[in-house]
Amino acid sequence: MHYKIKKGLDIMMAGEADHRTEKLPLSRFCYIHPSDFRWWKPKMLVSEGDEVEIGTPLFCEKGEERVRIVSPVEGRVKEVLRGEKRAIESVVLEVSENASLSRMIPFDDALLSGDECRNLLMQCGLWPCIRQRPFSVVPRPEAHPKAIFVPCFDSAPLAPDMDLLLGDQLEYMQQGINVLKQVAGEQVPLFLCLEQGGKNDFFESLDEVDCQYFSGPHPAGNVGTQIHYVAPLDTDETVWYIHPLDVARIGMLFSTHRLSFATTFALTGPGVRHPHYFTTVYGTDLSALLEQEKNAQNVRCISGNVLTGSKMANHLSLRFYDHQVTLVPEGGEREWMGWLKPGFKKWSFSHTFMAWMARDRQFSFTTSLQGGRRNFVMTDVYERVFPFEILPLELLKACLIKDLDQMVELGIFEVDDEDFALCEVVCPSKMECQKIVRDGLKELYDSTDQAVR
Amino acid sequence: MKLSDISDKIGKYFEKGRPLHKLYSLYDAVDTFLLTPKEVTSGGSHIRDAVDMKRIMITVMIALCPALLVGMWNVGLQHYLLLGQHPGFWQAFGYGFLRWLPLVVVTYVSGLTVEVIFAQHRGHQVAEGFFVTGFIIPMIMPPDVPLWMVALATAFSVLFAKEVFGGTGYNFLNPALVARAFVFFAYPSVISGDQVWVSGVDAVSCATPLALSLNGAPEAMPSLWDMFLGAIPGCMGETSKIAILLGAALLLFTRVASWRIMLSVVVGGWTTAALFHAAGYCPFAGWQQLLMGGFLFGAVFMATDPVTATHTSSGKFIYGALIGVLAIVIRMVNKGYPEGMMLAILLMNIFAPLIDYCVVRCRIRRRKIRISRHKIKL
Repeated sequence: MHYKIKKGLDIMMAGEADHRTEKLPLSRFCYIHPSDFRWWKPKMLVSEGDEVEIGTPLFCEKGEERVRIVSPVEGRVKEVLRGEKRAIESVVLEVSENASLSRMIPFDDALLSGDECRNLLMQCGLWPCIRQRPFSVVPRPEAHPKAIFVPCFDSAPLAPDMDLLLGDQLEYMQQGINVLKQVAGEQVPLFLCLEQGGKNDFFESLDEVDCQYFSGPHPAGNVGTQIHYVAPLDTDETVWYIHPLDVARIGMLFSTHRLSFATTFALTGPGVRHPHYFTTVYGTDLSALLEQEKNAQNVRCISGNVLTGSKMANHLSLRFYDHQVTLVPEGGEREWMGWLKPGFKKWSFSHTFMAWMARDRQFSFTTSLQGGRRNFVMTDVYERVFPFEILPLELLKACLIKDLDQMVELGIFEVDDEDFALCEVVCPSKMECQKIVRDGLKELYDSTDQAVR
Repeated sequence: MKLSDISDKIGKYFEKGRPLHKLYSLYDAVDTFLLTPKEVTSGGSHIRDAVDMKRIMITVMIALCPALLVGMWNVGLQHYLLLGQHPGFWQAFGYGFLRWLPLVVVTYVSGLTVEVIFAQHRGHQVAEGFFVTGFIIPMIMPPDVPLWMVALATAFSVLFAKEVFGGTGYNFLNPALVARAFVFFAYPSVISGDQVWVSGVDAVSCATPLALSLNGAPEAMPSLWDMFLGAIPGCMGETSKIAILLGAALLLFTRVASWRIMLSVVVGGWTTAALFHAAGYCPFAGWQQLLMGGFLFGAVFMATDPVTATHTSSGKFIYGALIGVLAIVIRMVNKGYPEGMMLAILLMNIFAPLIDYCVVRCRIRRRKIRISRHKIKL
């Protein structure tokens, strides 16, 4: 079926990645961040100085030892960095010289049942590739979804091209899909969400999938939007979603017995000299590359896209779920009477600046907040960029006052903070919409029974 | 030395623990007025739209300017006409400007004082909302209203219609209208009757077209063209319909004001007036009613205040339509007070949360139905 998304916004940003892929050699260090896995309280399974291989468990979620994060490289645990209240901030791995990118995992693949596939995914650290809506958390080991979503295009600003990301991994997609179907149950539908009019031939040729087509501005490519249109969530339902590259990774493990955390990412943004694609291993130290590629001194490095990505603070590395690195010049320049100027070069969704005349032009953005924080004043800006059958302002207010019943009734289970990213961008009151929604979800998550999660 | 450095240097005296800390909100207001804030995004979206509340408010003020400028000219024109003179453009405009200037200064001083005290007390930044309120208040008062009354009304409205509820964004009544309502109910003699609408001429009866139309003197009505241009007695802001429509065009194009509200107020008012006309209550056609009094000004600049209007999109239609209906009903039924727009908007301000509540419940029900339908499909 074809869904036309009408509300939304494509942000034209300078720094699109060229269609060429460079192989990045393994750097000396690799950083794994437990904060990639939402609301985890990690429990370490290795200690400093331990030797690790690809697939050696590093940490797991407290109280659930089966769901673990494994080492993506071969080497040694150099350090476990802790932050406030001794929470683990990152695990630093020292990569051995001449380390290989994959490792053979022996298993008997003749008669693998659904549960055995599940266990193998958990053992190899591939289970966390799957995430669950509501809450966007890693599903519990015994969870059963009502559907699986594989979003096969990305509509975020400067989003990487899926064909280039997948590259030669395409061949493993079918096997990965078979495994996912087996894990979730044969009757559970698996939706491939494709861009209407895109290069879909390969995806359409896959078996056991249900293709759904989307067109329109961002967030048409967000999995939240796709779930909302294809299979909206009731309070007692869950769906899973997984990136195509991770489907291929699972497929590779099951068809060749090789476990690899090699990945491809796009280096993009107005702060980059030569934006293009790189292949590497997730978690690898990118500081040398970014130092060489950034085109100004004060640049913010973001793992992910500019709307939802996380700022790389001390350790510059690609996060677990990201396939894009964006560099944006830091703002903070003060401008004389900025609010009064015609604003020929100011990007705005509203028509209050003269730049509306050239909205298709690529703008060079900075991280300036561009105004002061205020209470909610404007009431209809959010709805213009929010394609859900949900009242965004009312939901934000329910989150702020922690009215759990109202949140659920308004449909918070269907959304994630990333769905509010555009609202946050266009908000004239400079509200932190994503944080408000995330805090609301956390409040709800903590109050829900484990079994329902 | 750059201006931002100078500002930073001065700012040090206003930091916590320093002698001038009690005036920090004032410093911050002046600082961010002159220079855009240096704050950068933290978490969430890393880039932001260039629009902020200052830009929104300045857009509204620009939209108000045509009505204000024509209004100034008209105040002078009416004054000289009543004295039997025919002034030149600049003479009339100059007179009107001199009537407006003390009003606007008094409004801003009185309102901003309250605003800054509250911002300082709460440790907030000074919100921009009052810039528009203070701009509108002189435009909806009679030109000869005593200054102390304006000061009192403004202070009252900022304090009791806005700040006690938490400031801009939390108020449920339009502060500018509250200021007008305050004068209307506390000092009725300066804001009603036939003798207040022309400046500087004592005790000469000069009714507004609206009053004439309702009190049985339609033959004394000015031409429709005069009503459209704005050469009629009335408040400074409300007389020129063409200037108000110019402002409306800017507000709609920049998407600062809601088209839903504007449209539904006009449709609601027009329909009601047409019904009254059809029933024989009133000799004027529906569309002529829209040109009288403050109807259009209220529809464009007051009813569309996003904070006090309904917040849901479908609620905006109900809210606007009811304002239009009520304004005309008050006009027609209560001939003692022809200007119903102010009361209609204030009344609907009070009902806006109720409308929103109903709309939200409807949407929740619709969502449940939608989900149950999708279940069957799967």
